[in-house]
Amino acid sequence: MTCEEFKRVLPELGSGHGIEQEEHLRSCCACSDLVADLNAISKEARFLKGSEDPSPWVWNSIEVALRQEGLIRQPQLQHLQTPAPMLGWRLRWLVPLAATLLIVFGALIYQRGTGQPQTAQQPSPPAGVVTANLQPTDVMGGEDLQLLKTVSERSPSMRATYEADLRSVNAYIRDAEQSAHSDPNDEVAQQYLRNAYEQKAMVYEMALDRSLP
Amino acid sequence: MQRATSYAVVTVLVLTALAAAESTRQEMHFKVGRRASVSIVNQYGGISVKPGPGKVVAITAVLYSSKVEVDQSKSRRRVTVFSHLLEGADTETGRVDYEVLVPADASVTLHSTTGPLRVEKLHGDIMVEGSTASVDVRDVSAGHIHIKTLNGPVTVTNVSDGLVEITSVGGDVALNAVNGSLVHVNSSSGKIHYDGDFGDGGDYSLTTHSGDIEAIAPAYASIEVVARSVQGMVEKDFPLQPEHTSFVPRAGSAFAGTMGEAASSVKLLSFSGKIHLKKR
Repeated sequence: MTCEEFKRVLPELGSGHGIEQEEHLRSCCACSDLVADLNAISKEARFLKGSEDPSPWVWNSIEVALRQEGLIRQPQLQHLQTPAPMLGWRLRWLVPLAATLLIVFGALIYQRGTGQPQTAQQPSPPAGVVTANLQPTDVMGGEDLQLLKTVSERSPSMRATYEADLRSVNAYIRDAEQSAHSDPNDEVAQQYLRNAYEQKAMVYEMALDRSLP
Repeated sequence: MQRATSYAVVTVLVLTALAAAESTRQEMHFKVGRRASVSIVNQYGGISVKPGPGKVVAITAVLYSSKVEVDQSKSRRRVTVFSHLLEGADTETGRVDYEVLVPADASVTLHSTTGPLRVEKLHGDIMVEGSTASVDVRDVSAGHIHIKTLNGPVTVTNVSDGLVEITSVGGDVALNAVNGSLVHVNSSSGKIHYDGDFGDGGDYSLTTHSGDIEAIAPAYASIEVVARSVQGMVEKDFPLQPEHTSFVPRAGSAFAGTMGEAASSVKLLSFSGKIHLKKR
């Protein structure tokens, strides 16, 4: 089984793996690291889901956005004192999920670069993905542009800040990826990469979660 | 010239008086138990938190227009106060400044886009988030300090036995007399300044992509240190005992070694910034 084949069946695997997959995991550090990372992320995500209620800022931001969209109206006498619980339960999982997806995304990009050599047809990167070798530092992916659009709609004055920060963080990711690719066993390079993705996750979290009115 | 100055002074005074006249104060008091959790969420404006007497959370909010309101909720151990922006509110009209007194053992969570945010003399957990807000945390102990900013500068002073995690994309981070079991700073383009003795048995990691790192320590510091910059200069004022590392230390771009009994682990990592381990 090749890495490519393993990654193709990975989403369908549950907690256990077949004999063929087990054998591949034993022989391939890249894939076994990937599985370990995904397991760790999955474990952390469960923990995040059960954590404290999201900040009231989340509810306030949602309320302001809904009001701007005209979906709710200005309260007549007294506005909502506490967030509606149904709305909270529907949306609270989005924040850890967004962060988790970002980390998984980063891990996959990294694994793609450090996995075993693949002779089969390499699938082209998904649209909007920024990879170190394909795009210059300050070209942003589709997700980044979408984030900036959201920021612009909610708080135009913050757009420039977020754009500059995304460029800065993307440059960090690019350099960290190159460093990790050139020496996959270098712990420091891996720490750069983790930190770079943590930065990007934070930017997304702050933009989507609560920092904008 | 003198007349112009006088006009300017009068104008400033009038504007200040008008601004003061438009602002309103709102005071709130909450009785809480031990280790209360206090959360203040403020889109625009500052928050200052200090310890107060007794088991009471006392909050004074100054609102600068009628386009913002202050909401509150309280459960047994938890107090939440947040600025509620009404339609048309902006950075000026939506501004609220909070002065907060909490029991010293309270945990506080603060959010503000613009800040400034300031916390002092507490020993509960402190979680602070601000986009462009400056953050100042001082004289705290035995808590988890978690700070996130986009571009806001962060200053942390006199922290003992803390667990400190700071993430900032572009804000400069200054740590003065900060020690604890874990002190991590993760920046993208901000500078990192540390002045302290690295404690006893802590894990210190100061990492930035393009910012410079300056760490100032006394000669008696007991550390195992790794410093490395891929593209920047790395220098030290201390003689270190060499040790094995996962990379090859190169003069000028990396060093690794120990001082004293190597009680604390120190990592100083920058991708393209300069790193300097200075002797105090």
